[in-house]
Amino acid sequence: MSRIKDLQKNLFGGTTSNARQFGMIFTLVAIVLLFQIWTNGLTLTSGNLIAVVSQYSYILILAIGMLMVIVAGHIDLSVGSVAAFTGIVVAKTMQEFALPWPVGILIGLAVGALIGAWQGFWVAYVGVPAFIVTLAGMLLFRGGNQYIGNADTVPVPEGFRTIGAGFLPEVGPDTGYNNLTLLLGLAACAAVVWRELKSRQTRREMNADPAPMWISVLRMAVMVGVIVFATLRFAGGRVGTSLPISGIILIALVLAYSHYTRNTIGGRHIYAVGGNARAAELSGVKLKRVNFLVMMNMSVLAALAGMIFVARSSASGPQDGLSWELDAIAAVFIGGAAVSGGLGTISGSIVGGLVMALLNNGLQLEGVGSDMVQIIKGLVLLLAVAFDVYNKSQGRFSIIGSLTRPFRRDDPSPPTDRPSPASDSDKAPVAG
Amino acid sequence: MRKYLTRSAALIGVAALLTLSACGSEREGTAAPTAGGSAAPAKGFAADGLIGVALPSKTSENWVLAGDLFTNGLKEAGFTSDVQYAGASTTVADQQAQISAMVTKGAKVIVIGATDAAQLTTQVKQAKEAGAVVIAYDRLITNTPDVDYYIAFDNFKVGQLQGQALLDGMKAKKPEAPWTIELFSGSPDDNNAGVFFNGAMDVLKPLIDKGDVVVGSGQTDVKQTAIQGWKAEGAQQRMDSLITSTYNGDKKLDGVLSPNDTLARAIITSVKGAGKDIPVVTGQDSEVESVKSIMAGEQYSTINKDTRKLVAETIAMVKSLQAGTEPTINDKDTYDNGVKVVPSYLLPPVIVTKDNAAESYANDPKLAPLTQG
Repeated sequence: MSRIKDLQKNLFGGTTSNARQFGMIFTLVAIVLLFQIWTNGLTLTSGNLIAVVSQYSYILILAIGMLMVIVAGHIDLSVGSVAAFTGIVVAKTMQEFALPWPVGILIGLAVGALIGAWQGFWVAYVGVPAFIVTLAGMLLFRGGNQYIGNADTVPVPEGFRTIGAGFLPEVGPDTGYNNLTLLLGLAACAAVVWRELKSRQTRREMNADPAPMWISVLRMAVMVGVIVFATLRFAGGRVGTSLPISGIILIALVLAYSHYTRNTIGGRHIYAVGGNARAAELSGVKLKRVNFLVMMNMSVLAALAGMIFVARSSASGPQDGLSWELDAIAAVFIGGAAVSGGLGTISGSIVGGLVMALLNNGLQLEGVGSDMVQIIKGLVLLLAVAFDVYNKSQGRFSIIGSLTRPFRRDDPSPPTDRPSPASDSDKAPVAG
Repeated sequence: MRKYLTRSAALIGVAALLTLSACGSEREGTAAPTAGGSAAPAKGFAADGLIGVALPSKTSENWVLAGDLFTNGLKEAGFTSDVQYAGASTTVADQQAQISAMVTKGAKVIVIGATDAAQLTTQVKQAKEAGAVVIAYDRLITNTPDVDYYIAFDNFKVGQLQGQALLDGMKAKKPEAPWTIELFSGSPDDNNAGVFFNGAMDVLKPLIDKGDVVVGSGQTDVKQTAIQGWKAEGAQQRMDSLITSTYNGDKKLDGVLSPNDTLARAIITSVKGAGKDIPVVTGQDSEVESVKSIMAGEQYSTINKDTRKLVAETIAMVKSLQAGTEPTINDKDTYDNGVKVVPSYLLPPVIVTKDNAAESYANDPKLAPLTQG
């Protein structure tokens, strides 16, 4: 039986993938295939993939921050308003003082950090529940957006639009593809192979059982295959298009934050706080600081997402950011995070976000109205979480769950899966 | 068991790789035409070509009606249609995604009733690069060179008609000059508000200068007359203050220029509340309550912008694009969107008073019954 588990664990999302996240990857693949057939191959065309990435990159960026907030046991309802507020501040200052656009981006990030510090202060140091603080923030910054912008739409300069609507330039010989995207793809393939070999080596050095060779090879083959496929698609779009700049920003953030949450002490502290705040504090985790930083980080990412949206829309408007918080929260929960905190991964949230994005996109390609799209998305969210709740109430007896347990016993606990002080026994098995 | 699993896993892997490679090779076929076919202006297209229609959320009856008319009209004309409304809570982002999806599906013409006219630059560019023709419907899309045509009712003409109706109405009640009036205009952040006002002043200004028409309060600047957000209570407050400041004695108010029906009814409410005779009040939009008010002899006029006609003209435009001919344009130099002057087709609005209401709304199932008797 451990073969399947090997496969599950090693192919997807490393050690913390739980049943739902694993299931979600299959759901994602199923959705892609379903729409690929249904739309006669439109879903996986270059143009559509590029459009999907630039349309949903800002929601996925929010999902990264939201995952950390939810893991820490909080929630942030203000992200849409914070994004809209930052957008209008940046657009207005650039318009009125004729600032160069990189300065505009810095101002935006600073605004995000300030708002984050404000919200973090109330959550961490005063102890007001994050739900309340961010509900207030939602009103506060939505009002701020309309106050500053006069409920009007403010355009942003051409250069600024790069971060939302820009593509990699066409350089080098004419290969029929976007050369820079090809290079990125090549680098990604190399990184996957290198990482795989490195982890095998690490495991050997630590006298742990490396995954069987066939799994390593299969995993590399699948990953490289997916990357090659994606690279060719993104590089092969209309001349002048490539992997969108916003997509590159997203990938960089996903890599950085995945590393942070999985492999650093600071990152593990977030899980510890969410798992059991009291226990975490007793074992020396600086509770207030973790909460403060998580809330602040969320607002900075929301500011970035807001700027990307404004750049893509070429103007900041009064309706920016409406119900983004709900999209981000939905992505995180579909991606396997626990409502009570302490569980969830960045990659899971991204998969959850992609499920929503591709569902949306596929339905729109089919010409399904936005009313039905909302109904379907609502049902998907409910079913995804219900699946998890049901599994828990059944003592986690599910097909995948039952496969998980025998495997866990002989799992040679790799360094990334160091049980955090707070992972109480109830949660740990699912986390692993 | 183990062997079986190993084997099946290996098979899955091989299958996965095969699928991937199959997909990978398919891309030459799809990418080559897209890479080559950039931005060539469409010289006609297949008679059953896809026409995308992206409309704002279903908050106003007008848009719901327009959507149904587009769906049926395009179908009758033999086109494949994709009519989409933006979701009520996430309008701008939804519309952006819908337009992208239409481009992906290879729409030949995309008709856009913008939710936010300044936030579609990227999508319109995308459409243009994919060779689609973009028609701005009712609302001009700004800040982009990629809008091909604009089709709407002539808003300057709306203003002129309102000004003229005001004069006609006052003349009917009191044949000789001078007449005393007050001016109201719409929300300062709405482009159209200024256009309406300028149209009306185009008619009224010469008479004001001559002294035949007197603005009682002296407030003629658009900043003084504007009602923020087209809000009824704003108009009512301003009218209340005007009555207190200017019409407190026996001074008679003959007419009020109101840019739309909502404001007109608020103005009438205010005048009635002060116990004054109802002056001649103009309007616009043919709202149900105002049509009732006109039939009851309170509001003097409104403007009928027939959505059916606007949609029919848009479909006619699509048809001529399909045939590869230049669509009919009647205004090449008025509508500047900030980047270029968009060739426009403007429909004439119709003024409606009690006299011609039955005739004007004869085709409107909702308003026609109100005009009987």
